[in-house]
Amino acid sequence: MLRIEHYSKTYPGGKVAVDDLSLEVRPGEIFGFIGHNGAGKTTTLRAVAGVMDFTEGRIVIDGHDIRKEPVAAKRVTAFLPDNPDLYEFMTGIDYLNFIADLYDIPAEERTRLIGYYGDAFEITGNLGSPIGSYSHGMRQKLALISAFIRKPRLLILDEPFVGLDPSAAHVMKGELARLCESGSAVFFSTHVLEVAEKLCDKIAIIRGGKLVTCGPTEELVGDSSLEEVFLELEEDAQ
Amino acid sequence: MKHFWVLLKVSVKSMLLTSTGRDKGKRKRAASGMRMALLMAFLGVYLSGLYSNMLLDVLIPIRMEVLLFIYMGIGALVGGLLYTVFAVKGVVFGGKDNDLLLALPVSSTVLMASRMAAIYLESLIMSFFVLVPAGVICAVRTGMGLNVSFFLRLLLATLLLPLLDTALSVLIGALLAFASARVTRGRNWGQNIFMALFLIVVFYFSFNLQGILNNLALHADSIKEGLRWAMPLVWMADGIMGSWQAVGLFALCCVIPCAVVTAGLGRCYRWAVTAFHARSARSDYKLTGQRSAGQTKALLAKEKRRFFGTPGYLWNAGLGLMLLLVMGVAAIVKREALRELSAVMPALPVAAAAMGFCLSTCIITAPSVSLEGRCFWILREAPLAAERIIGVKIAFQLLLAVPCVLISGGCLAFALSLPLWQGIVLIVTMILFAVGCACFGMLMGLCFPKLDAANETLVIKQSMASVLAMFIPMAALGAAGLLYAFVHMWAAVALVAVLAVACAVVVKQRGAGMLERL
Repeated sequence: MLRIEHYSKTYPGGKVAVDDLSLEVRPGEIFGFIGHNGAGKTTTLRAVAGVMDFTEGRIVIDGHDIRKEPVAAKRVTAFLPDNPDLYEFMTGIDYLNFIADLYDIPAEERTRLIGYYGDAFEITGNLGSPIGSYSHGMRQKLALISAFIRKPRLLILDEPFVGLDPSAAHVMKGELARLCESGSAVFFSTHVLEVAEKLCDKIAIIRGGKLVTCGPTEELVGDSSLEEVFLELEEDAQ
Repeated sequence: MKHFWVLLKVSVKSMLLTSTGRDKGKRKRAASGMRMALLMAFLGVYLSGLYSNMLLDVLIPIRMEVLLFIYMGIGALVGGLLYTVFAVKGVVFGGKDNDLLLALPVSSTVLMASRMAAIYLESLIMSFFVLVPAGVICAVRTGMGLNVSFFLRLLLATLLLPLLDTALSVLIGALLAFASARVTRGRNWGQNIFMALFLIVVFYFSFNLQGILNNLALHADSIKEGLRWAMPLVWMADGIMGSWQAVGLFALCCVIPCAVVTAGLGRCYRWAVTAFHARSARSDYKLTGQRSAGQTKALLAKEKRRFFGTPGYLWNAGLGLMLLLVMGVAAIVKREALRELSAVMPALPVAAAAMGFCLSTCIITAPSVSLEGRCFWILREAPLAAERIIGVKIAFQLLLAVPCVLISGGCLAFALSLPLWQGIVLIVTMILFAVGCACFGMLMGLCFPKLDAANETLVIKQSMASVLAMFIPMAALGAAGLLYAFVHMWAAVALVAVLAVACAVVVKQRGAGMLERL
């Protein structure tokens, strides 16, 4: 579903954010991307989503090269940044319809999906209000709904649990699992190692822009915990 | 005091960065800042100089030059208020760094004062470019020459007037912000009505300028008496013309209100910041069947919502279009007078110049990329080609501008009794000019983007993109006028057409790449 080959990103000024990263996310997988602050997680996710250009390498989503066929690649993905700023001059329902229009979701289907996810995240009653009046958590929920209604083949999430209440986080985990059962894949970054350990089929750990390790969660963690593995790798790197 | 200067530096830096665009080194910033200052200076000197000259023609023979400064003072005060009052909510109470600064060990009064100082600097620009040119013209026309005492008093008045402006602006802006936070629906209407009333007053004075000037010549003394309601400005004018005592009284009238507003609102700054944003989401929405639309329609609807839902954007970027319509209606109403006028001057170029001026102030595309701001990720991650995003932004401006051109051009052609072919030339040329303005504004928006501005007002009113998108088409219009006067009408039309096509070609070839690199 997602293939990253020798991806590198150097910012103007010469700072290397990510260096020669290669990994693959298969259909049906939930793939966790872990690293300390400034390790290059967000830079990688933004490049995969086609929001940011990169220096070297190749990113292929569902057979579409993000550089050569950006529109086709974006049509099958949904991206949620860590702090999703939304159009404050729109109401929640306006925003969902705007996204649904951009992804050509038919009227009946969008009504059904908005109703389903709106009820699941307990936000349907608020959809008529301007986004400017939403709390941080409500914005996060709205952005999540706008991602789920697209039924993406690849869902890219940057720190998706930040700002969500426990009930919404529980719903989200369930929906991620459902999405993967339907053959889609989820590629997400997180600092919450317990969630990553329980939720992810595969985990990659990145440090200083370089991939430190990558593999199935069970193999990577073994008898210890992900936290212990992560800290051990950090010490080795130092 | 140290805290105040540090916070003031942050506010001013934010304003300057917004004005000068992309942060690419000191030299470019300085050059951009210089260009913008020159443009503002040109506009101020031109308008203030023109009206001061007209007023002095009437006032010098009756030795009532003092009225010039009362009128210019009112102009600077009202202009400054209009320029800043709707920025108050964003600049003073709605800064995105409010949470950070309020958590610092700094008194809220100092924070309030630093925010108000930013408003003061904006008002100072208006005051400087209105009062100083008027003073210079007065000194030249009255034979006063380089009178140091006069210019010292003029400078003091120029520095003091923005204090009064700031106090009024912050007070009114705070009330408006408080009211708008309490209204869930239609909260932009108040602002729109305020702006519409102001425009009606401006149009009234513009249409009746000659009558006002004649009246001034006949009843100058009684007019000064009648201006007692604006006593501080009378003291300012008396002060500039020679009375140090009046300067002192005017200083008190400016400093005291400003200090009271700073101290008063400073005390409740934390409460105000919270109260002005106290809008809670309603929870009574019932989901019914939704309708679908295509990508282009969705993007156009988004532009429409932003434009009509942001009064600052509507009135600053769309004023030219409203003026076009008003001009068309006014031309029909005053067609007899216009036909008399067209007997002594060529009607076609005058009509084209007036329409072109209005169109050049229509700068919807220029700030539109910067207005995406932190929400730009939504368009970037969507399956949209950059060409489509740019195309929709240009199309939105044209969808508003072209009907206005057709209505206004039709009305003017009828009112001036232009032959059919001249009417067609007028409308076609203005449509080409509208295309050029929209494409050029888009290019400026892409050249000088500001995606991380503290608020929308700064992007719309003070960005380099907006200023250049307005003044460069005006310069092109001037060049077309010269071609009309000294070469031929078709040379002027050809210039407009060539510039429009050139802008469209550059946007088509370079625009997408520029947008993707942002």
